[in-house]
Amino acid sequence: MTELAIVFFVWGFASLANATPLILVTLGETLGQRTGIINLGCEGGMLGGACAGFGAAMATGNPWLGMIAGAATGILFAALHAALVLGARANQLASGIAVWMLALGLTSYIGRAFVGGRVEALPSLAGTWVSSLPLVGRGLEQLSVAAPIAILLVLLAVWWLERTRTGLSWRVAGESALIASENGMSPTRARLSAVLVGGCLAGLGGAVLSVDYTQTWANEITKGRGLIAVGLVIVARWNPRLVLPVCLLFGLAETAAVRLPAMGVEMSSYLLSGLPYAVVLAALVANHLAFAPAAAMPADLKKVFD
Amino acid sequence: MQYSPSDNMAGTAAIVPMVSFRGVVKRFGALTACDDVSFDVAAGEVVALLGENGAGKSTLMKTLYGIHPPDAGQVLVEGHPVAFTRPAEAMAAGIGMVFQTFSLLPALTVRDNLAMAWPGTPWFLGPQGRNARGALTRLAQLAPGIDPDARLGTLSTGEQQLVELTKVLNLSARLVILDEPTSVLTPAEAERLYGLIRDLAADGVAVVLITHKLADVEACADRVVVMRRGRIAGTGTASAMTRAAIVAMMMGDTGVRGGDPRGLPPRPDLPARPYPQLLLRDVTTGTAPADAKGITLTVNRGEILGIAGVTGNGQTALAEAVVGIRELTAGEVLLDGKTISRRRLEPRQPLAIGYVPENPRENGIVPGLSLAANLALRGIARPRQHTMHPEQVTQCLTDYDVRPPDPGRAAGTLSGGNVQKLVIARETGEQRDALLMVFPTMGLDITATASVYHRMVDAARAGAAVLWISEELDDLLELAHRIAVIRDGRISSGLPVTPQVTRAEIGALMTGGQP
Amino acid sequence: MTPTSSGRTLPFAAIALATAAVFLLAAATFFIAIGQAPLRAMIDLVLFATGDAFSRVESLLKAAPILLCAIAAAIPGRLGLISVGAEGQLHLGAIFGTALVLAMPQAPAIILLPATLLAAAVGGALWGGVPGWLRGRLSVNETITTLVMNYLGILMVNGLVFGPWRDPANLGWPATASFPDAARLPVLPGTGLHLGLFLGVLLALGCAFAFSRGIRAERVRVLAMNRKVGETYGLNFPRFAVILMATGGAAAGLAGICEAIAVQGRLQPGLSLGYGLTGFLVAWLCGHRFLLILPVSILVGGLLAAGDSLQLFHKIPASSATILQGLLFVTVLAVPGVLNRRAS
Repeated sequence: MTELAIVFFVWGFASLANATPLILVTLGETLGQRTGIINLGCEGGMLGGACAGFGAAMATGNPWLGMIAGAATGILFAALHAALVLGARANQLASGIAVWMLALGLTSYIGRAFVGGRVEALPSLAGTWVSSLPLVGRGLEQLSVAAPIAILLVLLAVWWLERTRTGLSWRVAGESALIASENGMSPTRARLSAVLVGGCLAGLGGAVLSVDYTQTWANEITKGRGLIAVGLVIVARWNPRLVLPVCLLFGLAETAAVRLPAMGVEMSSYLLSGLPYAVVLAALVANHLAFAPAAAMPADLKKVFD
Repeated sequence: MQYSPSDNMAGTAAIVPMVSFRGVVKRFGALTACDDVSFDVAAGEVVALLGENGAGKSTLMKTLYGIHPPDAGQVLVEGHPVAFTRPAEAMAAGIGMVFQTFSLLPALTVRDNLAMAWPGTPWFLGPQGRNARGALTRLAQLAPGIDPDARLGTLSTGEQQLVELTKVLNLSARLVILDEPTSVLTPAEAERLYGLIRDLAADGVAVVLITHKLADVEACADRVVVMRRGRIAGTGTASAMTRAAIVAMMMGDTGVRGGDPRGLPPRPDLPARPYPQLLLRDVTTGTAPADAKGITLTVNRGEILGIAGVTGNGQTALAEAVVGIRELTAGEVLLDGKTISRRRLEPRQPLAIGYVPENPRENGIVPGLSLAANLALRGIARPRQHTMHPEQVTQCLTDYDVRPPDPGRAAGTLSGGNVQKLVIARETGEQRDALLMVFPTMGLDITATASVYHRMVDAARAGAAVLWISEELDDLLELAHRIAVIRDGRISSGLPVTPQVTRAEIGALMTGGQP
Repeated sequence: MTPTSSGRTLPFAAIALATAAVFLLAAATFFIAIGQAPLRAMIDLVLFATGDAFSRVESLLKAAPILLCAIAAAIPGRLGLISVGAEGQLHLGAIFGTALVLAMPQAPAIILLPATLLAAAVGGALWGGVPGWLRGRLSVNETITTLVMNYLGILMVNGLVFGPWRDPANLGWPATASFPDAARLPVLPGTGLHLGLFLGVLLALGCAFAFSRGIRAERVRVLAMNRKVGETYGLNFPRFAVILMATGGAAAGLAGICEAIAVQGRLQPGLSLGYGLTGFLVAWLCGHRFLLILPVSILVGGLLAAGDSLQLFHKIPASSATILQGLLFVTVLAVPGVLNRRAS
C-alpha cells in the first residue's frame, strides 16, 4: 500500500516536472485564444525559446539569463504572428504554421553550435524548507523552481483574466471585436498584448525545457509540444485553471513512456513515446464527445475554427 | 417648414444645443448614406429620428459616435466641433448609444457586461472590485430583479436592453441614442421603456430615438425628424404632426398605393375543407433557453400560421428542426404524412418544403456562386442537377424583381432586399406543399416587405401550408389565419385571428402572462 | 479560406510580382546574414536546380513527393479544411506498403507493385480519413489533429524499423531488408525518374478536372462557401470531409511508398525531408489550384535539390532550405494582405 502511494507521488511529481514547459506554453496559448487569436506558431516560439535560452545559459553560465533570452525570443516569434494576423489579416492557422516553419529552420541552423553544450539547471527545491515537509517533501525535492513558478503564473493568469479590467478587455475581444470597440475598448491592442504575452510564455516554456528539464539542445527538441498545447487549450475549455490538470495528463503519459520499460513492461520505446500524442488525441476526442466545446469557445474564435 | 428647436423653450434662446449636425455627408463607395444632414438636439428633449430601413438614420448617429466619421460637414457637441474616430472618444464626451443588436456579450455575466464601459477604472481593478458597485447601483434602480452574476445570455431580451441602458447611463451620458429600441420588446416592455425615456428627458438628458414605428413617436417623442434616402425629409413637433403626414414624409411620393398605405395583400381565403398538411409533433431540440421544447402544431393546406415572439425564444431551433438541419432529441415533423425531420445519425435528405431562412445573406445563399447556381441550389444533392436555361433564369430573376437580373453575377454582390428576393424566387418558384418563412421582412423597406408578403399569400392561395415566424405583430394580425406565440422555446396553442384578438392579448402571451 | 479570396482589389499578377520581389529581397538578406554573396548563391541555386541533365532529374525526383503532398493538402483545402497531415499520411503509406512487400516478397511484379501502391494509398487514406471523420462528425479541428497525428505516424515508422521490421543482416542499422526487384517502381530508362512523379502528375490533372466541373465539384464549392446552406439542401458535410481528407491522405500515402521503394529501396528512418510541410506550403501558395500546384511543386523540388548541392559546395547547412521555405510562406501571407489593405 505504501509502495503504491510512493509510486503515485514519485510519478505525480515527475509528471509535474515534465509538464512544466507545457503548462507555460498552454497557458500562453490560452491567453491568446481568449482574445480570439489562435497561434500554432507557439511551437515555433517554444523552439526559439529553447534554442536561444540554451545558448544564453551556455554562454553566460546563468540559467536565469537563459530564461530571459528564451522569453524574449518567444515574444519575437509571436510578434511575427501578430504582424501577419493583425497587420496583414492572414489566416491564423496558416500564419502559425509559417512562423513554426521559420523557427524550425532558424533553430536548427543556429542550434548546431549548441549540440553537446552544457548548462546549469535552475535551482532545485531540494535542500530548501520544502524538502522537510511531511509526505510531499520527498516528491517536491525532485522539482526545480520552474514548477512552482509555472503554477504561480497560472494563478496570476486566472486573476488577470477574471479580476482585472484589462483582463476583461481581453475576454471581450475574444467574444467579439466589434462589441469591444463599440464599448470603447481596443480589440487590436488586447489581441496584440495577449499574443505577445503568449509568445513570452511559450519562449519561457522552451527555455525551461532545454535549460532546466533536459539540459541539452537537440533539433526539434519540443517535439510538437507547442502544437499539443493548442489542442490542450480546447481540452481545458479555454479556462486557465484547467491548464494544470490537462497538462499533467500529458506529463503523466510522457512519464509513463519513460518509466514503464524500467518497470519491466516490454514495449518498443518508439511506440511508447507515441503515447503522449495518442493521449492528447484521445482527450481531444473525449472532450468533444462529452462537452461540445463550441459552447465554451470564445465566440470570435469560432470564425477560425469553422 | 419654419421651425427652430428652441422655440419650445421660450427665454432660453441662448442655450447651446446638446448636439448639432451641420451638413453631414457619409458615403460608402457609390452609395451616399447621409447627404447634407443638419439638425439639433437640445438637452432634455426627445427627438424621434424616423425613416424607412436604409434611410440613413443609424449611419447618421454612427457619424457622431465615431464608428463612421463623416466625409463632409460637422458635428458639434455643446457648440464645440468634434470629430470622434472611436466610440471611446464619444463616450468620454458624454454620448451613449444603445444599439439595435446590443453591444453586450451573452457569454459574460451582467456584472462583466456593465464593467465593459465603466470609465475611470484603473486596469487592475476588475468587475468584482469595490468601485464596480457603482456600476451596479443604477441597475438595481432600473431593474431590481436582475442578478448581476447571471450570464447575460440567460436574460430575456427586455432585461438585456435594461442592462444595455444601464451601461450607457453609467457613462453619465448627456445624450443617449437608442437604435430601434422597441423592435425587440414585448408591448409591456416597450411601455416601460417609454416611461424610462421620459424620466431621462426630465433629468435633462437629450435622447435620440431611432425608429421606424409611429407608435414610438406618439408615446414619447417631443420632436420628429424624418429621413428619406439619406436626406432630411421634414421635421416638426410630435404633437403637431399627423400619422399621415409622417408617413408621407417617410415614403416620399413613391410607395403608397391604393387603400392600404403599406400595400399589403388581403388575407387569402381558407380552403373549404381543412387538410392537415404540415404536422409538428412534440418537436424538441434540447433544453437550452433557445431550444425548441415539445412544440406541437398543425398547419392546414392553404393556411398561414403565424408564430409571434421576441427573437431568441427558440425560433431558429424550431425552423432548423423543421427543415432537418438541426437534429431532434424528440418528436418529428411530418409533411403530408411523411417524416421530414432528422434524428441523430439519420441521413440527410433533400429539402422537401420551401424555406426562407432568417438572415438570408448568411443562411440562404452561397455568396461566391452565381445567381443561376444559387437558383439551382435546391437540386444540389439530387443525383442529377436540374439546370435551367439561361433565358429561364433571367425570366425568373425578372419575375421576382431581383436587381440586376444578371444570371452570371455573384450572389454575394446583391443588396439585402435582392438577396431575399433571390431566396424567395428559389423557394416559391415552384408550387410547394409547405413553406416556412423566418423573419422574412427583417431589414427590408416597405416596398420589398410588401412584395415578400404577396409571394407568401400567393403560395398559401396555391395550397401551401405556410408557417411564418415573425416579430411584426401588426403584420401577423393582418395576414395570418392563426397566431401561436413562442416563448422560451415553448409554444402557446394557436389563437385564431378574429377581430377580438388584440395586440395586448398576444403581447401578454409573449411575456408569459395569461391572455 | 484560400489566400486569393481576399486578392480581389488588386490584380493577381501585381500581387504575385510584389510577393516574388519581397521574397527575393528576404532571401538575399538571409544569404548575407549567413555570410554568402546573395547573387552568387541564388545563381548557383538556379544552376544546381536546372544546370544539367543530372540536376534536372534530381529536381524532379524531389518534386514527386512534394507534388503528392501538395495534392494531399489541396484536396481537403477545396472544402475549406486546413489539413497539415501529409507528413503522417506519407509515413502511414510507407508502413502499409512495406507491410505488403514484406508479407509476399516472392510475388511477381505485376501483382506486387499495384498491390503495394494500393496498400500505401489505404494507409494514407486511413490517416487522413480519421481526422476527416472527427472534423465532420464531432467538429474536432482538423489542423490540430492532423498535426498531432504526424508525430504518431513518424514514431510508428521508427518503432517498426527499430523493432520487428529491422533486418538482422543490417548489422544494427535500423531498416527493413531491401525490397525485392518485383516491388521496384518502373523507371524511365536512363534517368532514374520513377512512376511516383507520373502518378502525381496524373493525380493533379485528374483533380483539376474533377474539381472544376460537374455536380460533385459544385457540391464541394457550396459546402466550402456556405456549409449551412449545403446541409439545408441535403448535402452531407461529414461525408465530404471524410472522403476528401481520405483521398488527400491516399495521395500522401503514395508519396511515402514511392520514397521507400524508389529512392531508398527499403523502409528506414528519415523517410521524408519534411515533404508534408513543404507540400502544405505549395498547396497554400497556389490557392489549392491543382494546375498551379504542378509547376510550383517542380520549382520547389528544384530548390530543395539545389539546396543539397549548395550544402556540398558552399557549406550552407540543410536547415537553410527550411528557413527559405519559412520566409517564403511568411512573405506569401504578408504581402497580399498588406497591399490590399493599402489599396482599400
